Amino acid sequence: MSSAVKGFLSEIMKNRLLYLMCLPALIVLLMFSYIPFAGIWMAFTDFNVVDGIFGSKFVGLDNFKYFFSNSMGWKVIYNTLYINFFGIILGIIVPVGIAILLNEIRHDSYKRVAQSMMFFPYFISWVVVGAILYGIFSTDVGVANNILKFFGAEPISWYSEPKYWKWIIILASVWKWSGYSSIIYMAAMANFDGSLYESAKVDGANKLQSIFYLTIPMLKPTIIVLTLLSVGRIFYGDFGMIYGIVGNNPVLADEVTVIDTYVYASMRSLGFSYSTAIGLFQSVMGLILITAANKSAKKMNDGEGLF
Amino acid sequence: MGTNRLVGDKLVISLAYCLIGLFALVCLYPLILTLSVSFSAEQEVTRNGYSILPQSPTIDTYKYIFVNSGAKILKSYGVTIFITVVGTISALLITSMISFAISIKKLRYRNIIAFISNFTIIFSAGLIPWYMVSVNYYGLKNSILALIIPSVFSVWNMFLMRTFFASISPSMYEAAEIDGANYFTIYVKIALPLSKTALLTVGLMYALNYWNDWWNALIFINEKDLFPLQYYLYSILSNVNAISSGRIPTGASGSITLPAETVKMAVTVITIGPIIFLYPYIQKYFVHGIMAGAIKE
Repeated sequence: MSSAVKGFLSEIMKNRLLYLMCLPALIVLLMFSYIPFAGIWMAFTDFNVVDGIFGSKFVGLDNFKYFFSNSMGWKVIYNTLYINFFGIILGIIVPVGIAILLNEIRHDSYKRVAQSMMFFPYFISWVVVGAILYGIFSTDVGVANNILKFFGAEPISWYSEPKYWKWIIILASVWKWSGYSSIIYMAAMANFDGSLYESAKVDGANKLQSIFYLTIPMLKPTIIVLTLLSVGRIFYGDFGMIYGIVGNNPVLADEVTVIDTYVYASMRSLGFSYSTAIGLFQSVMGLILITAANKSAKKMNDGEGLF
Repeated sequence: MGTNRLVGDKLVISLAYCLIGLFALVCLYPLILTLSVSFSAEQEVTRNGYSILPQSPTIDTYKYIFVNSGAKILKSYGVTIFITVVGTISALLITSMISFAISIKKLRYRNIIAFISNFTIIFSAGLIPWYMVSVNYYGLKNSILALIIPSVFSVWNMFLMRTFFASISPSMYEAAEIDGANYFTIYVKIALPLSKTALLTVGLMYALNYWNDWWNALIFINEKDLFPLQYYLYSILSNVNAISSGRIPTGASGSITLPAETVKMAVTVITIGPIIFLYPYIQKYFVHGIMAGAIKE
């Protein structure tokens, strides 16, 4: 037995109790993250149930070629990037704005109540958000059309008008996450040096100046880290968000289908191999971008990566 | 100059009060809308549309639901409570054990274990292979375990808990070690009692996740008896969508009366369930968890 193996075994034996305590979690990871890696092979085959994963015919990159040669492939990539891009931008501006404004509020009870109201959307599921949005955008009874009617405008049949839904989804995600994200920025601001603000005040700076020249520059590292994390995941759509809000409504599907919902939908219609290939494309893009994001985070934050 | 500054600052502050108040209202408005419609009379809602105040307040809708689909809803409530309780307890046990183990500095392979876990966040095989092994090898189709096991361990929560455990001074353990205690005893007798807040925080995060989960049900469950609450609501809503988009012939939908507006909102309220009452009290633990997660070691 080589000494490396011996060293390994003796370490395992010495701390066997601690390794045993890791075991249940590692088994879950093995079952649901590592064993599925074998199934990636399906992406390069024309999978059929009879021949199984490794018996089915090898087709090389055909599944990927098909994905990029049909218009739906580019469409879902575009939809994913579009929704995520504006989600990221507003997902910075709104929570940072909230954190800065909350900091200016003097009455603690006002602050507390407002903060806990803003945290509420975090606690409900996307299905519930979908039900709520139905209440707002339903053609006959919805709030949006009531408002339009009040101003004398024509009501809109929202659920058969795809063009609005990218932005409805983007705004819904900003609504759901802003309270949550602002907590992270508040936490960062709590560590700021108060004396800087004092001396700025003595030097005659007004509130707006200290926000733009002190608070925002000091928030920059936090903003960069959180943004890089989201950019790393820009090829991942939020399945629950899309499906919870529009379900499988065929009229809206074209505009809001993202890579994740497309994989799910094509599992039934276009087969396992094709949808595995799309999922693999997504994972590889994710891996590349997250690694790149981590590298740039290290560069900008003096060697501190994202993970 | 000085007075100008004061006026400007006052303006900024009053703007802060207004905007924060406005956004806070926007965040809570849908809940109030949903509650108010669920307590309204159906005819009024169909005539006037949704409104922020209940129209002819009544609890008829809730009575109607419990007479007509009370059994189904109770069953779904049962499923949701079961997976939330069993799932959270198992998740806490599994997560706290591994987090404790890799917080011990002398565990030589702790970084390898952390890497094995981390890698699953940055690269995955994707939905289809995951679904294939779950259904073909683990037999999760139409099994209640499908609603528990896939979400029973979160790597994020592991790192969160490790941060908590790592803040316990090792000297606490050394004394116990000298007395002959093994690491499992130390975990049970010392580490866990010192981490009650951490356990509560992570436990609530898991519980919220289980309560709100419908993705696993969408993927794995066809049997109505195993529908969790969230998925029950989802199936009602997608029926409504299907019928109103004209994909189901009117003849077929004529016999089933469509769930009325008030019914939809009442089921939504029932689905949010205890969160409505609990969230003001439990949110501080989530804040605690978010802040601990945001601070890197």
